[in-house]
Amino acid sequence: MTKAVSPLGEAWGQFLRNKPAVAGLALLIVIVGFVLYGHFLFNADPYRIVWGPLTAPGEREGIPLGTDFLGRDIFVLLLKGGGPTMAVGLSAALLTVVIGIAMGALAGYFGGWVDDLLMRLTEFFQVLPALLFAMVLVTLFAPSLVTISFAIGIVSWPGTARLTRAEFLRIRELEYVTAARSIGAGNSRIIWKVILPNALPPLIVSAALTVGVAILFEAGLSFLGLGDPNTISWGQMIGQNRNFLLEAWWPVAIPGLAIFFTVFAVSLVGDGLNDAFNPKLRSR
Amino acid sequence: MSPLMSLSDLRVEFDTRHGRVTALSGISLDVMPGETLGIVGESGCGKSITALAMMGLIPNPPGHVTGGVIEFDGEDITRASNRRLRQLRGRDIAMIFQEPMTSLNPVFTVGDQIAEAILLHQDMSRAEADRQVIELLETVGIPEPEARAKSYPHQLSGGMRQRVMIAMAISCRPKLLIADEPTTALDVTVQAQIFDLMRDIQAKFGVAIVLITHDMGAIAEMTDRVAVMYAGRVIEQGTSDQILDTPLHPYTRGLIGCIPVLGRAAASTDRLPPLAEIPGVVPPLHLLGDGCAFAERCALADDHCRAVRPPLDDKGHPVACHHAGEIA
Repeated sequence: MTKAVSPLGEAWGQFLRNKPAVAGLALLIVIVGFVLYGHFLFNADPYRIVWGPLTAPGEREGIPLGTDFLGRDIFVLLLKGGGPTMAVGLSAALLTVVIGIAMGALAGYFGGWVDDLLMRLTEFFQVLPALLFAMVLVTLFAPSLVTISFAIGIVSWPGTARLTRAEFLRIRELEYVTAARSIGAGNSRIIWKVILPNALPPLIVSAALTVGVAILFEAGLSFLGLGDPNTISWGQMIGQNRNFLLEAWWPVAIPGLAIFFTVFAVSLVGDGLNDAFNPKLRSR
Repeated sequence: MSPLMSLSDLRVEFDTRHGRVTALSGISLDVMPGETLGIVGESGCGKSITALAMMGLIPNPPGHVTGGVIEFDGEDITRASNRRLRQLRGRDIAMIFQEPMTSLNPVFTVGDQIAEAILLHQDMSRAEADRQVIELLETVGIPEPEARAKSYPHQLSGGMRQRVMIAMAISCRPKLLIADEPTTALDVTVQAQIFDLMRDIQAKFGVAIVLITHDMGAIAEMTDRVAVMYAGRVIEQGTSDQILDTPLHPYTRGLIGCIPVLGRAAASTDRLPPLAEIPGVVPPLHLLGDGCAFAERCALADDHCRAVRPPLDDKGHPVACHHAGEIA
């Protein structure tokens, strides 16, 4: 007999056949490896001034990517700034997914007034201009990695909530939900153990893409000077050097490229997951 | 002997776009311990709602039980708490569904799902539950139960899946098994196997079965007693022999006339159509008037039928027809 393959295992097999997605995953592994190395193993003070300000890449040996407007080594800043950037991306995405799934699941499963209430709340957060609202939150609570992640999570969950709700509305009508009820399963078991596992594929995709969006969001806030002043992040590097853009492109372009490649890799992986979970889209 | 499951004058209503419609208007049914009761009728006559009502699973909203009593083992389950209902479901009353393709959760192995049903009601370790799963799969005639327990639903055939559903349903030795058109989605040879299995299980565990179907052949083969439903009412009730041999309601006769008989087509092309049919369809529930709901489609119907709804009277066995037993 054939070996039992779980639906997740099958999707993984499908994912591995998708070349852009695998390339994205490889790129992501390289970037994450670089960031982890910089955060945990690489010992150098990123704030140390190593040479004159705005030294071009390759101009001087030992400073491969040049220096920023204060003369700090961009390569070292890049290594040290990746960790906070990714931490914000991941924790904001996690918060988005947790709030979004909780709201969407309850609204979609119970319907009625619960649905009305939660959806009005979702709409309230959805119509607020996300960046402005995040800026208000960050300035209110003093910028730190935690408040920034929190602010990004708070402005991004409505999309996940709507997606979750739609999935729950569809799945709760299926016969295996009635069947689960007929063996005596209660509401919480049906929500978390019967419906949610079946609703996960689109949510995994959306969570992956949210990581990319959150990293961009953090960069945006830092660019506007609302990043955590005590922590180096890629977005902050861009923000601090933007006044010198006309004299030196590299202190802005290099962290910009780092963000670009990270988000690009995450999107490729997210798209690959989407194709892997949606066999119907595969042929297109 | 007192009935195991007893519905008396059960009314179920649904809120729809057309206002509130009555899906079940005063159903009374008894299921005795260990017997098989058949419920027959066309789509939309209230069979499945009756089944869901027996499990306390009428979707609310939009459904409401607006009257009557559902007694299981002497306990009125229309008044039972949700907690009590969850205890009863699966442990004392179990159900198998029409579509074995969609009634199993696609993301878990069948072994996991059966173990889940066991662990919901019985206090035992996961390892013990897994052992029971293998035993149950063996009981329902699944070859290589150890390997099959690790399969996902989509890796099994329709018949296998229905066997898995039956294994799950009997996992806690329920007293009542409700089978809602359990073979409709299966092909004929598999149907016969599933019926055989249900009979075996009844003999082994003494479970009472409510078999909901629109297949008179299944009725003849499986049931002790039969209730015929039409537009939310029981219109004829009796032992299977009474219903099949001396049907009194024109609708029941029509249903029996619809049973295809091998060879009849060739022998009787001049006199009878090869397959009989009952003209028309079950009227929409929101358009039901005061008279007999079947009057529109009935050859015997007169003005009296259209004006006055016939009560369920004993005319040999209970039947709701002013013209019971007359030949069209």
